[in-house]
Amino acid sequence: MTESEQVVAPKAFMPLKKQTACPNKFIVVPGGWLLSRDSTASLCTFPLGACLGIAIYDPVAKVGGLLHSLLPASSLDPKRAASRPGMFLDTGLTALLDGAQRLKATRKSLRVFVAGAAQIIDETALFNIGKINCDILPQLLRQLGVKLHAQNVGGRTNRSMELILATGEVLLKFSGQTASMLLCKPSKTT
Amino acid sequence: MQAIKDYIRNLRHLPPAPHLVPELMRLLNQPDLDSSKIVNMISYEPSLTANILRISNSAYFAAALPTFDLQEAITRLGFQQVNQLLVASAGAQLLHSAQDGYGLEQGELWKHSVAAAVAAQIFARKLGDNENPVFTAALLHDIGKTILSNSLNGAYAKIVKETDGNGNSLLEVEIKLFGVNHAELGGQLLQHWKFPPNVVAAVWFHHSPKGAGVHQRLASCVYLGNMISCYMGHGYGHAAFALRARAEVLSTLELTPQSIPELMMETFEQMHLIQALFSLAA
Repeated sequence: MTESEQVVAPKAFMPLKKQTACPNKFIVVPGGWLLSRDSTASLCTFPLGACLGIAIYDPVAKVGGLLHSLLPASSLDPKRAASRPGMFLDTGLTALLDGAQRLKATRKSLRVFVAGAAQIIDETALFNIGKINCDILPQLLRQLGVKLHAQNVGGRTNRSMELILATGEVLLKFSGQTASMLLCKPSKTT
Repeated sequence: MQAIKDYIRNLRHLPPAPHLVPELMRLLNQPDLDSSKIVNMISYEPSLTANILRISNSAYFAAALPTFDLQEAITRLGFQQVNQLLVASAGAQLLHSAQDGYGLEQGELWKHSVAAAVAAQIFARKLGDNENPVFTAALLHDIGKTILSNSLNGAYAKIVKETDGNGNSLLEVEIKLFGVNHAELGGQLLQHWKFPPNVVAAVWFHHSPKGAGVHQRLASCVYLGNMISCYMGHGYGHAAFALRARAEVLSTLELTPQSIPELMMETFEQMHLIQALFSLAA
């Protein structure tokens, strides 16, 4: 584990032995998000690069969502943010949570998973969109009143993310690797 | 330098030379540009002719009526686009295969290169620089990886140890293992293929634009194109982000750090062009 790679719940990060088969895979386009209550579906991102993938899952309402945001703050370009809120972390996450709420998910039971934001070697931090994306996240989550359940961010390798609606499992696929990794085990409905 | 020459000499197979690309670049640079010469040159290449017709009739470029005439298609596209297509057609053949040593699956190096080329071209346009050499160099910037990949087979553990553990860049790992790196090898290869010196220099120094001398500006555009491509999710394979930040790139191009997200947004807007070029390898 490198210094730039942070994992909140290290025990939840384990090699996946048997991948859950999922008949209905939906791809989230960059700058977009998807929400679903369909227990036969999974939502996945393209490789994230320096972007952030944010998966949310409510094990009670069985509602899940996934966002692929490119840049940290909508203040970079408010006009673009109005037409494509998913492009930015703040407007994208707000839209994702609002949508989940409409599907009867509650912020109290929502679990949040974050992945992506690979980083180049940059002591000056002039270029590092991945790092800026990570830095802004904790405060944003606090503001929006949701808790981070697990994350796998930073590092030097591109990854994509998949949320399985039936179980709430979150899988990561690292570029150059054949096996997926499990960021989060199946959720228990308590 | 000798190490690279030895390395190239010892290779059994070099990739096939894309003869037309340097030739077209020379033609396009002539003040009295003769379009019939270009049509003539391209018409001898059936796969290129087919690609130009296919793309000029694609959803991205299509006019009201489809054309099956090369001259007409070239007129519609314009020379800039024809250069783009010629380089991309050659690049699709050179860059589409899997590069196992780097952990690159089939098509991934190609996608990375296309996204880098489109990003770098957007940048060149904004700066008012000549777009053709920027697009060409950015598209071919990783051509050296196709030569080094076999040697890297089985070196995954070493790559991880050196990049994650010791904080080295992928380029530095290559030098440590082989005494050469993919950027220099790529530059040498393009020189061998008689590409113009600015394109050669920009590929050679795409990780350290300062070294490109008078072509530093061009190399800086390629450097940024490569980085933006990675940021947008098109940096594939092992430790693709193990590349060093070069702060001087910003001053060379008279930019601020805020230009990076701007360039990402503008590249994002060109996703349809990136997709159209991806399909050239299909």
